[in-house]
Amino acid sequence: MERSLTRDPGFWIMVVIGLVLLIMGPILIDMFTIMQITQYVVLSVFALSLAYIWGFGGILSFGQAAFFGLGAYAFAVSSISLGDTTLPLVLSFVIPAAFGVALGYFMFYGKLSDVYLGVVTMVVTLIFWKLANHTAGPEYSIAGVRLGGFNGIPSIPTINIPGQPDAWLDPAQLFRFFMGVLIVVYIALRILIASDFGRISIGIRENETRAALLGYDIRRHKVIVFAIGSGIAGLSGAMWATYQSFIDPNAFSMEMSAKALIWVMAGGVGTLLGPILGVIGLQWLTLQMGMVEFLNSLVVLGAIMMVLVLALPKGLVPTFKSLGIAGWTLWRRGRGVSGGVKKVTSDD
Amino acid sequence: MTDAEKDKGYRILRTRGLTMRFGGVTAVDNVDFDLRDGELRCLLGPNGAGKSTFFKCLTGQLVPSEGQVMLKEQPITGRNTHEIVNMGVGIKTQVPNVFDGITVYENVRLSARRKNTAGIARDVAEATIEKCGIKHLIKREVGQLAHGQRQLVELAMVLASAPDLILLDEPAAGMTGDERDRLAQLVLEAARSAAVIVVEHDMQFIRQIAKFVTVFNRGAIFREAMIDDIMRDRAVQEIYLGKQADAAA
Repeated sequence: MERSLTRDPGFWIMVVIGLVLLIMGPILIDMFTIMQITQYVVLSVFALSLAYIWGFGGILSFGQAAFFGLGAYAFAVSSISLGDTTLPLVLSFVIPAAFGVALGYFMFYGKLSDVYLGVVTMVVTLIFWKLANHTAGPEYSIAGVRLGGFNGIPSIPTINIPGQPDAWLDPAQLFRFFMGVLIVVYIALRILIASDFGRISIGIRENETRAALLGYDIRRHKVIVFAIGSGIAGLSGAMWATYQSFIDPNAFSMEMSAKALIWVMAGGVGTLLGPILGVIGLQWLTLQMGMVEFLNSLVVLGAIMMVLVLALPKGLVPTFKSLGIAGWTLWRRGRGVSGGVKKVTSDD
Repeated sequence: MTDAEKDKGYRILRTRGLTMRFGGVTAVDNVDFDLRDGELRCLLGPNGAGKSTFFKCLTGQLVPSEGQVMLKEQPITGRNTHEIVNMGVGIKTQVPNVFDGITVYENVRLSARRKNTAGIARDVAEATIEKCGIKHLIKREVGQLAHGQRQLVELAMVLASAPDLILLDEPAAGMTGDERDRLAQLVLEAARSAAVIVVEHDMQFIRQIAKFVTVFNRGAIFREAMIDDIMRDRAVQEIYLGKQADAAA
């Protein structure tokens, strides 16, 4: 009865596309475009963090930027302090994940409803943003690294080869490394979603009461899902920090949280491919709009979001998937081929 | 019967002074209820008699205002739902409580997986689905099914967890005649290995399965007797039908 992940063609198509892009991208595409795509890759990892907790755990976080920023600052401080980026990358996952456990414990064991959960995550992000803006003085330093207040932390090192602090990755290598991270995160999440743990998460998303009535501890489960999403968001924050060589309190901004929500909603909640396409499409659009003086990109993004919610409430990927299956079924019927309508599954 | 006599012997479920208040409304009022191991009991009572609230107090979905619930002679009052369920309780709620967005198989498998390894869970899920007569729906998304079919899916989920105490809240509601007959068979079969409490209004169904019945009214136990005695009881007819019983007489 169970469909194995390894027999899912969609999974393999995604992995192969990712690997082809990883290997061939820097060879076939000019360096400016590669650097642009690198940005999309980093933000895709960030989008996946929300796509997982919202789409497969039913946890709607309005404050994913809190973990993104925490990971970015953890990486910035530790990489400058240590002079190597290997351990800081690990810390950029572990510290936000640990904070996710602590925050999740209070939210889920405190039985907060979805609305309050959204409010709490948003407020936590604002607190971080405010706090980071007030760290301008020399007294605000960690391990000798000044946090810099609203000016942020400059000169964040590029990723280096483990154990060789001076062997920094060039832009092409950085692209390949980040692409590798995206592929690994995608595969890990697909495995997690297909596992028993993931099935229970989906069950909790569908009906918390029934999940509890089957004997599952939904509070503990949600804390774990939330922590995994927090860790991934933190990792993407570190990637963002090293990509820009700079980080400031805007990493904690509501704009970052809102963008993640828009990417996931536009691409489709309950998919992993959708949010990645959401990042690529909307970030590309933002870039194009930046070239037009009289357009405010945020206003236009908001308008696009409203249109998408009204016209394609399920998001791009689930809508096109349903249309594709319906078209395929009609075509088969037209040719007299028997067979039932395939159910649209929630994963990619 | 004295309290001392009442408390004698092992009971899979025992409540003492169980009371649930919502503001000024007392939904469950000082209920002393006993259920022996392997017993099949039906709960009757008009709408609003407190039967579903009683179930919610038993499963930790509501924390009682007063009184105590003992499961397998252990106090469970105030415990979390999943802890009580893991002590061997399975419940089918009044409105089918299922996972709408996933298939029938996945619903039942999630239940079976709680106590079993993946391989055993698969076998248990498939066997239970077949036993409940919903094998033809196995790949269907539960949200697309009719009410009666959803009731059977939820029942399959309860049975797949192999509980020692099964609580069924209006399981026959919305079922066709055939589905109801199958349900009666399933309930009787389940009662061979577990204690069962069934809340139901369908008297034909109750006659198929019940021997001993507890009647609830206004949150309290009104009568406890054999089904034939209950059916003849004028006072029970009165609380079910109100003035109509008088008029008919």
